[in-house]
Order: sequence, then C-alpha cells, then structure tokens
Amino acid sequence: MHQETRANATSVGMEKLPADGGRSRIYLHPGQLFASAERSAVTTILGSCVAVCLWDPISKIGGINHYLLPLWTGEGTASPRFGNVAVQDLLNKLLELGSQKRRLQAKLFGGACVIEAFRERENHLGTKNVQAAEELLEKEDIPLVGHDVGGCRGRKLIFHTDNGTAWVKQL
Amino acid sequence: MAHRKILLVDDSETILMMEQMILQKESYEIVMARNGKEGIAKAAETKPDLILMDVVMPEMNGFEAVKRLRQRKETKSVPIVMVTTEAEMESMEAGYVSGCSDYVEKPIDGLELLTKVKNLLGD
Repeated sequence: MHQETRANATSVGMEKLPADGGRSRIYLHPGQLFASAERSAVTTILGSCVAVCLWDPISKIGGINHYLLPLWTGEGTASPRFGNVAVQDLLNKLLELGSQKRRLQAKLFGGACVIEAFRERENHLGTKNVQAAEELLEKEDIPLVGHDVGGCRGRKLIFHTDNGTAWVKQL
Repeated sequence: MAHRKILLVDDSETILMMEQMILQKESYEIVMARNGKEGIAKAAETKPDLILMDVVMPEMNGFEAVKRLRQRKETKSVPIVMVTTEAEMESMEAGYVSGCSDYVEKPIDGLELLTKVKNLLGD
C-alpha cells in the first residue's frame, strides 16, 4: 500500500494495510457514492473506473464516488454511474452535510487501460473517465491536490473522509 | 471488419442469455461455456477476442480460470472481464491479481457492458 499525498504520486505495493484509526469501514461499489461527517475509511476497487475524493479539511466532512462511464448525456436515467452525475451528487451531498465549497479539495484515482496496445490512444475509457473528472472539478473550481490515474493495472483505494488521506495499491 | 468473437463463461443460463442479448446488438459472435474448466477449453478451441467470466461456478471458479488462461500463450493477452455479484465485489482484488482486465457487477447494465467491451476491443 502506498499513502498518496502528492500530485503525480506513483503507487507501489506495500504489505501493511493502513490503520483505520477507529474509523467506520465502508466498501464502495461501482456506481455508488458515499459522504459523511463521521470519520470513515472507504475502500473501493478501480479498473477503468474513476473515483473522485472530496473533503473539507476544516469541517472534516468528506466523500467519494466511483463511476464507470464519463458522461450522462440525457438518455436513460441519470445515475452516479456517470461521472458528471456522480461528481455533482457528491458535491451536493457534502454541501448538505455542512462543508464549505471554497474549502473543498479533491483527489482523483483510477482510469487504467489494461490493454497495452490501446494505452497510447487518447480516447480509451479510462482516459475519458479521468478527463471528465478533471473538467468537472475545474468547472467547480475545486483544487485537485493529488492523483494516481492511468497506467495498466487495477487499483485498490482506501480513502479517509475526515482528512483526505488516500492509500493506493496497484493490483 | 470481421465479427469479433466473445466467449461468455457462466453457469447461469439466464445470465448467458442476458449477456448474449446485450452483445448481439453489436453483432458480436458469441461462444458459451458453463464453468471455468469448459471456458478454458472453449478459449483454446475458438480463440475469442474477449472473455466475460463469472466468478462462482462449479468445476472451476472464475479466478482460477483467469489465472490458468493467463498462463497459456494463446490467451495470455485476451481481455477478460469478470462478472461479479455485489457479495463477491470485495474479492475483486483477487480478480485483478489473477489477471482480469476489468469487471462489471450484476445486475448487468447493457450500456456499461457494451462500453467496456468496445473499449477493451479497441472499437
């Protein structure tokens, strides 16, 4: 496991799991989001999917989504399986819980492309998912303070909602 | 372009039928197997472009089948998508370690499955 705290951090394998520090343990499934004012350690597994982590370091309110597809274009039901819906829903939830938008910070994970031959393509699903998050965060003026995206392997992510700490293990 | 061939491995006829209905919208050629052991044999015989693999199956589970497929020269690089239930999701770490390329969760969402399949096939 690797404690991710910096932009452009690379993740490496480490045997020891991070201590949860008494936090509630949550497992986040694809297409779901979680936000809480209580200290929580959220685990999720990412392939081409992306997780956006947002937290307010003052109120210690934070949350995370896990979306599969970049954009809901208006067809079918809007759901957090799509990046634009997932980011907006997460943001709304955090504001409802009492966080301040101007204090929010973001980290971004996932968007792998496991097929080597396609990795240089600009339009593979992982890249589109990452681009969607970057554009949405920029539009909302939320600073992206850390990320571990792209590459060729799946990831296990553990995110602490109260302080924004994230661990990534490449699988 | 020649029809892409997709191998569906699942012990549930219902899931196989659902996957087939979704994938046939894109005219993929479909091959099926009912467990991991049969899946390995079908993969060797039919040389699919992509494999959808269930996790819990009789004879041989999906993780073991993926591990064995990755050891064979002809299937070492074939994209494999694990098809999991919510209860199996927490074991997906083992799925990636065994060599799967991505995963989808049951109940299968047609748009999600087709997007992932097209992405992995480079379409």
